[in-house]
Amino acid sequence: MIQWWQILLLTLYAAYQILDELGPYTSAGQAVFAGLIAGLVMGDLKTGLHIGGMMQLTVLGVGTFGGASRIDANSGTVLATAFAVSQGMDPEQAIGLIAVPVAALMVYTDILGRFANTFWGHRCDADVEKMDWSAYNRHYLLGGLSWSLSRALPVFLALAFGGELVASITSALNGDLAWIGRGLTVAGGALPAVGFAILLRYLPVKKHTAFLLLGFAITALFGTAFANIGTLGGDVAALGIAAGLEGVPSGMYNSLSMLTIAVIGLAVSILYYNNNQARPAVAATAQDGDDDDEL
Amino acid sequence: MTMTSSKKLPNGTTGYKLQPEDFAQINRRNLAAFQVGWNYERMQHTGYLWIILPQLRKIYGDGTPELKQMAKLHCGPFFNTSNFLNTIITGIDLAIEEQDGVESSEAVASLKTGLMGPFASIGDSIFGSLLPTIFGALAANMAIQGNPLGILIWVIANIVVDWFRCKQTHIAYEQGMKLVTTMSDKLNAITDAAAVMGVFMVGALVATNVNITFAWVPDIGGVTVNFQNIFNMIMPRLVPACLVGFVYWLLGKKGMTSTKAIFIVLFLSIALGALGIIAKG
Repeated sequence: MIQWWQILLLTLYAAYQILDELGPYTSAGQAVFAGLIAGLVMGDLKTGLHIGGMMQLTVLGVGTFGGASRIDANSGTVLATAFAVSQGMDPEQAIGLIAVPVAALMVYTDILGRFANTFWGHRCDADVEKMDWSAYNRHYLLGGLSWSLSRALPVFLALAFGGELVASITSALNGDLAWIGRGLTVAGGALPAVGFAILLRYLPVKKHTAFLLLGFAITALFGTAFANIGTLGGDVAALGIAAGLEGVPSGMYNSLSMLTIAVIGLAVSILYYNNNQARPAVAATAQDGDDDDEL
Repeated sequence: MTMTSSKKLPNGTTGYKLQPEDFAQINRRNLAAFQVGWNYERMQHTGYLWIILPQLRKIYGDGTPELKQMAKLHCGPFFNTSNFLNTIITGIDLAIEEQDGVESSEAVASLKTGLMGPFASIGDSIFGSLLPTIFGALAANMAIQGNPLGILIWVIANIVVDWFRCKQTHIAYEQGMKLVTTMSDKLNAITDAAAVMGVFMVGALVATNVNITFAWVPDIGGVTVNFQNIFNMIMPRLVPACLVGFVYWLLGKKGMTSTKAIFIVLFLSIALGALGIIAKG
């Protein structure tokens, strides 16, 4: 069961997150942050962070270009986390089953909110005509209400009334429909591919292909190596314990640090920038090769 | 109308010069609520006026026909630009209006329409796409491993961005159009270098965060063929790379949207996963 105060907090967050995205942009309006909040509220940080992180990757390239509506990964994350924790659904399955469909459906409430604001826009025009500035302030800020309600209302309704539906789906997935559950788990692993492909459509990939390959190859190699070292360490520890040896390694091996990979990326980018500054007249395509040599 | 104490200059202004607290107020309004009035019809038109309304009232005097004329000039027409760079336009605009008053109305209108497009594309690519890619990917990656620290890093990065958003208002006011010309060269170089890092990070992400493997192990003439082993020998993470390549190709098709692509991948994964052809891993 989801407690009433959890519903309240998550609804308030849903109302705030879009305003943050529109104004201060602290990243509170991002899916991974939604996962953090929902995880904290629901008392299962790990599940929240996992769902939020996966949704963040799935929509990585889906920006708000030119004011186009985009799928609302935040509300999807909030609902998926709330139900995954409260109904004991597998987080990986909750992504495909709740987070993505909810995110896609919320496009329509987003459109509704943007339409509603057209009304306030006209009220503002009238206020300018009358030079009634306190009315202008009021009508302008009421636009925030349209935005907030477009998120908070559906999230509240789903949290308050969706529990039973989700509970019956969860039990079906653990029973007769286990094969769909398996497929949903796979989908959880595959969905970030969409986010990355969308990004590649926006970024100047053709101009910078070398860097794409470099990032992939370095990370694929290190990632595999780190994973294998971790497995090896675990095996050695298990063997040691089985043989009754003392002082066996604890098996504390860190996985690949993405921050370090990002540092490599930053270094490459700085080299590229410096090269560009040094020879502004040289065509950019000729410089790709130089950068690779320096690395 | 009550003409408050202000004596009018020939250009319709009170001769008011913007003070530091004016910029603080503009920045507060900008960060808090520049886009809450966003709508389909004219997008940021009400927001543009709202963040500078107190200053316009000081420049033209409250209740004057000049104030009404200029407020209509701002609120009336369509306006839409990057919410990260909009105060550059605001700063240049206010410097001109403070100087020339209502005589500047044509210049101000063309300044706004002329700059909103270029700033929209620069802002969208740097702040709407590249920074979220780099910091979002980092935060998401750490979050999936159960570590919220990456989110904190992103928040800090965005606070730095917000600091710039506040600084630029006054810089633009001081330097005017000169800023735009000096900035465009620098910005191009920075955008290009940031794109390098963005592309690099996407490559890295494909290698770590797309987690599917080939699970189908067919029995061909008594010999079981483990495709995943073969793929691993060719190159680790080959299957994820192929999937991203497939979606990239898919997105290039006519009528394809990101939402459609998400659902295609969702259904394909469920089907192939249920059949045991691919697995998570």
